[in-house]
Amino acid sequence: MSGAAQLAPPGPAPGTEVARLLRRLERERQARREAEAIAESGLRRLYEQQQRAQLLEGIATAANESDSLRDALQLALTLICQATGWPVGHACLVQPSAAGPLMRSSGLWHLADRPGLAAFADATRHIAFPMGIGLPGRVLASGRPLWITDLLKEENFPRRVEAGRCGLRAAYGFPVLVRSETAAVLEFYNDRAAEPQPELLQIMAQIGMQLGRVVERERAREVLQHDASHDALTKLPNRALFLDRLAQAIAARRRDPGADLAVLFIDLDCFKFVNDSLGHLVGDDLLIQVAARLRAALRSEDTLARCAVPERNTEPVSADTLARLGGDEFTILLSRIRHPSDAVRIANRLQESLRAPFHIAGRDIYTSASIGIATGGGAASAADLLRDADLAMYRAKTLGKARCALFDSAMHEAAAQRLELETDLRCALAHDEFVLHYQPIVALDSRTLIGFEALLRWNKPGAGLVPPGAFIAVAEESELIVSIGTYVLREACRAGRRWRHDIAGADAISISVNISARQFQQPNFVACVREVLEETGFEPQRLRLELTESMTMGDAERAVRVLAELRTLGVQISVDDFGTGFSSLSYLHRLPVDILKIDRSFVSKMQSNEQSRHIIATIVGLAHSLRMKVVAEGVETEEQATELMALGCAFGQGYLFSKPMPEADARAAITATVTR
Amino acid sequence: MKGVIFNLLEEVVSQHHGEAAWDEVLDRAELAGSYTTLGNYPHTELLKLVESAADVLGLPRAEVLRWSGRAAIPVLVRHFPAFFDAHRCTRDFLLSVNGIIHPEVMKLYPGSRCPHFDVRDESDGALLLGYASPRRLCMLAHGFVEGAADHYRQVPSVEHLACMDRGAHACLMRVAVS
Repeated sequence: MSGAAQLAPPGPAPGTEVARLLRRLERERQARREAEAIAESGLRRLYEQQQRAQLLEGIATAANESDSLRDALQLALTLICQATGWPVGHACLVQPSAAGPLMRSSGLWHLADRPGLAAFADATRHIAFPMGIGLPGRVLASGRPLWITDLLKEENFPRRVEAGRCGLRAAYGFPVLVRSETAAVLEFYNDRAAEPQPELLQIMAQIGMQLGRVVERERAREVLQHDASHDALTKLPNRALFLDRLAQAIAARRRDPGADLAVLFIDLDCFKFVNDSLGHLVGDDLLIQVAARLRAALRSEDTLARCAVPERNTEPVSADTLARLGGDEFTILLSRIRHPSDAVRIANRLQESLRAPFHIAGRDIYTSASIGIATGGGAASAADLLRDADLAMYRAKTLGKARCALFDSAMHEAAAQRLELETDLRCALAHDEFVLHYQPIVALDSRTLIGFEALLRWNKPGAGLVPPGAFIAVAEESELIVSIGTYVLREACRAGRRWRHDIAGADAISISVNISARQFQQPNFVACVREVLEETGFEPQRLRLELTESMTMGDAERAVRVLAELRTLGVQISVDDFGTGFSSLSYLHRLPVDILKIDRSFVSKMQSNEQSRHIIATIVGLAHSLRMKVVAEGVETEEQATELMALGCAFGQGYLFSKPMPEADARAAITATVTR
Repeated sequence: MKGVIFNLLEEVVSQHHGEAAWDEVLDRAELAGSYTTLGNYPHTELLKLVESAADVLGLPRAEVLRWSGRAAIPVLVRHFPAFFDAHRCTRDFLLSVNGIIHPEVMKLYPGSRCPHFDVRDESDGALLLGYASPRRLCMLAHGFVEGAADHYRQVPSVEHLACMDRGAHACLMRVAVS
């Protein structure tokens, strides 16, 4: 007590006015300090709240602007470490494994510039944390933030020794959540032990949600990218991705000319028939199964190749790419072959894999493929190589079903010629270089002219009259045939109208016009015919449209409907080349047909071949019983005419009566007939 | 200049020389002297107070700064024990000034312009402290260092290798403790 008395400053005696004032002063001073303390704690809280708001805003901006999850995570680590002053931040990513999800380092760190911390990162690099183990594993298991006050006293922390060596003491981690699924865990370390800060963890939980949106966005983008580069039906790469991989392979081949590459262009034979006759669902199913067989055949091929050829370097073999270009077209990129014969061998194996029937909707369906092969030799670009393989496939198709063809430059020339011809045909149409010739059709008994078949000729400048055989095939491959066909229809009707107008008695003369398959398939075909009739004023009853049997086979319902509509217009329907196709009786009687034309092949053989004569007799009998007229084509001799008449065939056309003739001659023939 | 510095000066002068001495310092400086930690006051007022204290206490200006810095440490320990308890020696404490203490000061007193100390290790275990501030309060820093050594019961030795008061563009102090 005496010591305290000595320390007390000398002052006025207690109870005096001065002593009271001093006490009052001390009270005021105390009040000021308390006020300051309250204000300071308010300021500190405000500051921290501002810091956290800034942090959240920073993270939100980063999450919205980042192109990738990794960018967003890196930015988050840096921002959080800056805001909290903790020296170490690290992101772990979830990795699926057979034993369940594992947490592994993403390699993304924020490390303060301080010696020794890199050692902790090194220790973390190769650890996989299973569910529930270590800080990342525990956050993964709970889906919640976790705080560790002192790592040195923590049992469940595999990196304790390393952390201790680096002077790290406190830690916390929190999950990056996509809905309730943990996609990543962020962990932070401080060099002092620290009591849990619930408010901080709350902020971190919010940050985890923000970053989760980046994950969601990245996943959505991946799905979109995958969809944009893959075929939805077969899940195979599509044309764009195939061309991309092909371009890469070509570039790789330039770097390493040791191995060659090949493109296989695969087109199914008669896929259209399956699609048309059994429906699109069956067609789709077939494509899926074909894709699976091709994939399996390619995989076994790949395995064999790897066993046979030891890898020369450590670079992994880039897997061969099977893609679906569209429709029934598949392509394969063989990125490493030694010789073109490898590609042929693989093509044969692929065809082999398609040999067994496909079981679809309770049926066995057989298909095969035509395969064109182009090897990387001199190809300049992915598009070139793909085109070459396509040309080779086209050649394979012409060889028959289930055939392969290797590309050679002659094909390219042929294709170039085709393209040139197509261009010329477009020109011809634009410059009115087509003309019609007319071949008379006569009554066999009286030899009276009853009509003409309009036939196309191309008056090519410098080349004279070109017969249709030289260009119709090319026109049919392109859509040109539709325009050309419409041209023929219109010109024939105009000619018929002129004759009626100019020549008295010409109104009984009919004109037959050939219709191509593509024309017939046009959705507006009937409208087009009606338009031409109205435009030209030609009498519909005198127009005969000649179709082939096969044109009506694809979609029978539509064919019947279209023919019925044409009939309603008053137009007559003639079936060309009858007897050469599938000539189904049950089918024929459903079709509204007026005339059957007997193919020239039967007529030319009728005297030497008993069977041909029987067929003609059958066709004539069939036509009569269905109330159809019969016209025989290719009548060249009197004997043929006589015998056809004997078999009951009333009409004929052929060189015996007349070759096809220009319009002026046709007019003369009509005039001769009506004045006889 | 933050009010807390004025309060510290008042507190150490009053404590060691009596409240009358502080009244005297204020009177000579012709200043009203109502400072709160929350406020900001002109730097020139601090300079006037230091001049005036030098007169009242009969010490050179530099010595006033050094003495008040050293004497202020126990006051700071009382107000902010956590800053001191986290360390076991002067060196660790000095190392934490830039990274921990000044950021905390920023929270309390937004807008403070805390000086940055360049800290470098010497081969003999000493620290080199670089200080550059237009306020030229290196002697105050010197006193704080000595006060911190007192707190950790160590014996300080602070040497001014370069000083802005002697025309250098920055001050450089060599700090050794034993």
